[in-house]
Amino acid sequence: MKQEPSTALPPARNLEFKAALLLVLLFSLVAGTVVYLLYARGAFEESQRLVLVADDSEGVTIGMDLTFAGFPIGRVRRIELAEDGTTRIIIDVPRKDARWLRVSSVFTLTRGLLGNTALKAFSGILSDPPLPDGAERKVLVGDATAEIPRLVADMRELVSNLRALTAQDSSLASSLGNVRDVTEKLKGQRGALGMLLGNDADAKKVITALDRTNSLLARVDGLAAKVDAQTFGPDGLVPEARAAIVQLNGALADARTSLKKVDAILEDAQVAAGNARDATADLASLRAEVDTSLRKVSRMIDEVNRRWPFARDPKIKLP
Amino acid sequence: MTSLLSPHGPLPGAGRATLTWFAGWWRIIHFGALILVLAFSPSSYFGPNRLALARHVYEDTAPILLWFVVLSSLISVVIIRIVVVTAVSYGLSQYALEMVVRVLVLELIPLTAAVFAALRCALPNAAEIADLRRRGEFDALARQGVDPLQREVLPRVVSAMFSTLMLAGLSCVVTAVLAYVSVYGFTAGALAGYTRTFGSVFNPAVSMIFALKVLFFGLAVALIPIASVYYDREHAHLRTSVELQSLVRIFVVILLIEVASLVGNYY
Repeated sequence: MKQEPSTALPPARNLEFKAALLLVLLFSLVAGTVVYLLYARGAFEESQRLVLVADDSEGVTIGMDLTFAGFPIGRVRRIELAEDGTTRIIIDVPRKDARWLRVSSVFTLTRGLLGNTALKAFSGILSDPPLPDGAERKVLVGDATAEIPRLVADMRELVSNLRALTAQDSSLASSLGNVRDVTEKLKGQRGALGMLLGNDADAKKVITALDRTNSLLARVDGLAAKVDAQTFGPDGLVPEARAAIVQLNGALADARTSLKKVDAILEDAQVAAGNARDATADLASLRAEVDTSLRKVSRMIDEVNRRWPFARDPKIKLP
Repeated sequence: MTSLLSPHGPLPGAGRATLTWFAGWWRIIHFGALILVLAFSPSSYFGPNRLALARHVYEDTAPILLWFVVLSSLISVVIIRIVVVTAVSYGLSQYALEMVVRVLVLELIPLTAAVFAALRCALPNAAEIADLRRRGEFDALARQGVDPLQREVLPRVVSAMFSTLMLAGLSCVVTAVLAYVSVYGFTAGALAGYTRTFGSVFNPAVSMIFALKVLFFGLAVALIPIASVYYDREHAHLRTSVELQSLVRIFVVILLIEVASLVGNYY
């Protein structure tokens, strides 16, 4: 500890200069901090105003960022309650960042499960006109925590339904009681039949009917044996049918032979027709020859007539 | 009041203690008003007063400045690391920086600076004042026509306050830089985001509360110890208890200021 009074100490060298240096350092620190904070608060940049209208501004705080593609482009300046009960979130957007906001931009307010709220802007068409200063837009709310009350209500309903199902006088309990009765009846003397019919007399009737059915089946069995013997026996229906088929095959073979003969006849007829066609062709040439001979005869007669004395005068006398 | 507070006065023990307590605080407020008047008086900054002021400002701040900044930086680095790692492990890394700024720059660093200035600067100054008065230096100065309050007390009060402001200011700046480097590393790419975070933390209300808090810390640290010993004429034989009492008073006032600032910031 310093024990000597100030008046007893010799003055240090350059004391005033050093003290002034410290003062300058403090003032520069304070001034620098003030300027930096003003810059950080956006005091030196021009901004435009955007008003987002929401039904509920819970989670939105002053100074909160408005982000576009993850980058902060604006800051919540004020939140106020409008006359119609909606909340107006007033946001300052610096001019240099306002180009990302267009008239077609969509704004969302999302709340996470941890209560973290985010204001986001989406501009699908960047070629649209820019958002004007002071524009009012409805904000779309996507609230993850808003689902929780509904979920809780659903759960409560589910639990109440479960409770109703599992209550002492519930339909499920009575059904289970009935099932227990049924299983006890199943384990009883008449078993499932007694359970299905409800009383022993009916069950007895069913058993009698079954016995009679069995005897009927035995008779049907004998009948079937007889039918079998008559059908498939040595003189039964099937061997006779087989013999008939054999005979039919023989008849069919005869028919096939006859048809072959008919085919041969038809071929002969076809040859005869061909010959007739050839004869017809020869007739044409014969006719030509006859024609030629006739013309020759005709010329010869003309020649004879010309050379013959009593030939007619062939000259034509002109008047 | 002196007769009321004397052990042979008409009041019972509890009433006398209460009155003594109120009287002690009243003296501190009165002393603060006196010092404030002297601080705004131009004559306090000329001649020998100026030299005494310069000497105290330099000697009370310069020797402790460097190693306090180093010490607070070390503690800050540890706390920043803890906060950042914890926030990342919970998936809340986006809030880590804001938390660091709020916890360290807004709350812890000014508090540490005030306590440090009180222990290292204000309490020794108060002991010096008590020693001077016990040795009759004050009377000697008064006989020479020099106001001892202006010559000996005011420079010590101003220097303690200056020391508090300087330590708090410089440490806050260094811590802010350390927080940036710890989170982002040595790159200037995240400066815009960091500035934005800083701006969102230091809104006008928080900035004003922060400035007032540091100012009141400085006033409390500078005034309370010296005022406690300056007015303690009738209990000169209980010097040690007076210093201890002033220390307790400083802590109480600092605590009240801190609580008030927390209420202002978060309620």
